[in-house]
Amino acid sequence: MTNEELIGKLKTIVKPYIKNEEAFKNMNEQTDFLNDLKINSANLVDVILDVETEFDITIDNESMEKMLNVKAAMDIINTKLAEK
Amino acid sequence: MTGNDIVDIATAAVESNWQRKGFLQKVFTPQEQLYICSAPISEQMVWQLWSMKESAYKLYTRQYGGRFFAPQKLSCTLATETTGKVELGKCSYRTNTIVTKNYIYTTARPAEITHQGFINSCFILPELKDQRQFVYKKIIDCYCSTTGYVDKNLSILKDKNGIPFLNCGKIQIPVSITHHGHFAGFTIY
Repeated sequence: MTNEELIGKLKTIVKPYIKNEEAFKNMNEQTDFLNDLKINSANLVDVILDVETEFDITIDNESMEKMLNVKAAMDIINTKLAEK
Repeated sequence: MTGNDIVDIATAAVESNWQRKGFLQKVFTPQEQLYICSAPISEQMVWQLWSMKESAYKLYTRQYGGRFFAPQKLSCTLATETTGKVELGKCSYRTNTIVTKNYIYTTARPAEITHQGFINSCFILPELKDQRQFVYKKIIDCYCSTTGYVDKNLSILKDKNGIPFLNCGKIQIPVSITHHGHFAGFTIY
């Protein structure tokens, strides 16, 4: 999967939870889920659960700790997919 | 230093489905899941524990910096229905929660401080264009009326990490601000 494809999939996942359309439109690796997209922290749990379902992976607590931005999410997904 | 967090129950019901598969297991420790299962209103306990964790997290990151998403690391125990403790590593925080039909509001302070020496308030946030200014004014008014301090130049500013403080010229007093749905709150100190 290319980075573009991965960001595309992440965009679909986060869409229901975002509160900043502008930042969502321009979502890229540097985008922060909470500060930029204004996703509330309870919905970050939903993002993590949706990522698990979409990619059929398990995100352990240690990985979840870092999942605050798009780049970190991409790294975690790629690592977990490689472990499969 | 203190932290606080408010949950608008109606907004949370719309925004979050805590009953979805895996949600409770991701967020709560086994002990906390037990509190939720045995609570008369499980939903209320979910958001009470959540606001305990959030208020303690705000306080912890204010003390030590950094950011992380580790709800299970913030481990809650309840002493009474509305008071409890949140532990994170070697840090321990005492919490006080107000539970109403409409909102749940928790304040956290370091466990070693036994007295409640800080100002806190929660209130309805009106539908305004500039809600931030409304909250800032409330904080300043509350500080002045509580302490008797009068200064037209008081303002709320943010440090480089985005953490707000009350600027009293030479002194900077930490402030924690929370809002969710139709409610907001703050602590000073």
